[in-house]
Amino acid sequence: MTDSLAATTPTAISENLQEFLLSRTKQAWEPDVDLFASGVVSSMFAMELVVYVEKTFDVMVLGEDLAVDNFRTVNKMTDLVLRLSENSGV
Amino acid sequence: MSDAAALVTEAVGDSAAEWDLAGWIPHEVVRGLGAKGVLCAEVPARHGGLELSGVDNGELTAHTGALCSSLRSLMTSQGMAAWTIQRFGTRDQHSEYLGQLTGGTLAAVAFSEPGAGSDLSAISTRIERDGDTVVVTGRKTWITAAAYADVVLVFGRFGTDTAVAVVPTTAPGVRVERVPAPLGCRAAGHSTVDLDNVRLPLSSVLSGRGFPLPLLVTTALTYGRLSVAWGSVGMLRACLTEAGRHAGTREQFGSTLAQHQLVARHLAELYVAERTATKMCEDASQSWDARSPDMGAAAVLAKYVASTAAARGAATAVQVLASAGAQDGGVVARAFRDAKLMEIIEGSSEISQLVLAERALLAAQ
Repeated sequence: MTDSLAATTPTAISENLQEFLLSRTKQAWEPDVDLFASGVVSSMFAMELVVYVEKTFDVMVLGEDLAVDNFRTVNKMTDLVLRLSENSGV
Repeated sequence: MSDAAALVTEAVGDSAAEWDLAGWIPHEVVRGLGAKGVLCAEVPARHGGLELSGVDNGELTAHTGALCSSLRSLMTSQGMAAWTIQRFGTRDQHSEYLGQLTGGTLAAVAFSEPGAGSDLSAISTRIERDGDTVVVTGRKTWITAAAYADVVLVFGRFGTDTAVAVVPTTAPGVRVERVPAPLGCRAAGHSTVDLDNVRLPLSSVLSGRGFPLPLLVTTALTYGRLSVAWGSVGMLRACLTEAGRHAGTREQFGSTLAQHQLVARHLAELYVAERTATKMCEDASQSWDARSPDMGAAAVLAKYVASTAAARGAATAVQVLASAGAQDGGVVARAFRDAKLMEIIEGSSEISQLVLAERALLAAQ
């Protein structure tokens, strides 16, 4: 498990997510490819992804932020992390 | 013993057998524990909760499960409801509902339907938006705690997604009918919940929107699986104590039962089962507390190991106690019936095995 990457750059977030996806799905993911259209996301993996994002980037993803659109691609997840870090970054 | 565990001990007293035989726990007992935050003990203090860690709540759950699996089942439902609200609700909904759930309001969680058991993608209950309201229609079966519940968290189709509606059982169109004679956890209030055009404000839907079904279900069930796993540990502890006490004192053929090697083996197996299940549960709850992405799979593993161990262990305990354990309502007789249900709910053993096989494949790649 990596240490918290809070307040990091979009590139670092994106690369970290791609690495995690590679380790869990055994395939590489371009940042704009739809993970959910691929059928690779099992019910267990959907939750793992949420928990991984929370733990790695020290954010809480709650309520409407759990909408599937926020997790659809690496880019979407990166946007989510940046937005949530901004909101909590006091 | 923790304060919360002492509250449970005091509330149960020596009534578990009576509750089992009657198929009912007095409402004021359940509500009293609910109002002290004991039934959903991980809820943050700012919402009136005890804010226990997953590991501490696990030990509380095992303590409760050792005394009364029906009460432990109600605890599982209340905790799962609170967790689902915490994850998928808005801040306003946290304040409103979590405050209620630590204040004496009792909750049930409704996934299963006549045509949707293990395959929850077949859920047909509909939550349809109509302006600032929603209309909920469907039938939910085998809903634990529903006979006690003031609110039921109903999982239903919401457009192409799935939403969760918090449905008061007093709302027009809601009918709750008890399952007449459940095999186990007889006082857990299992019921059929019929929802006939139940109209509620849109604010009753968590975050007012839909989510992917797999994410909703796995998130809610991960709490439920941990709770069932720890409850199974509790049953094993109760069985181990009963079997040990009996085998250590009852004499046949001029020596205690424990001095007969075939009986001693039963005790050893029960001890191994309790230790193994405890370690698996601790591991899974530590994953949960550490917010590890592995928590979902760890919860499945713990639930699978603990529930199968409890079903086998309870049968062993009845064997050791023999006629002394064959009285309905007694500790091992209850465990024998209750543990069997733990192999079925919150993901059957077979569904658990599919998840674990997926894990094994991933690890091998």
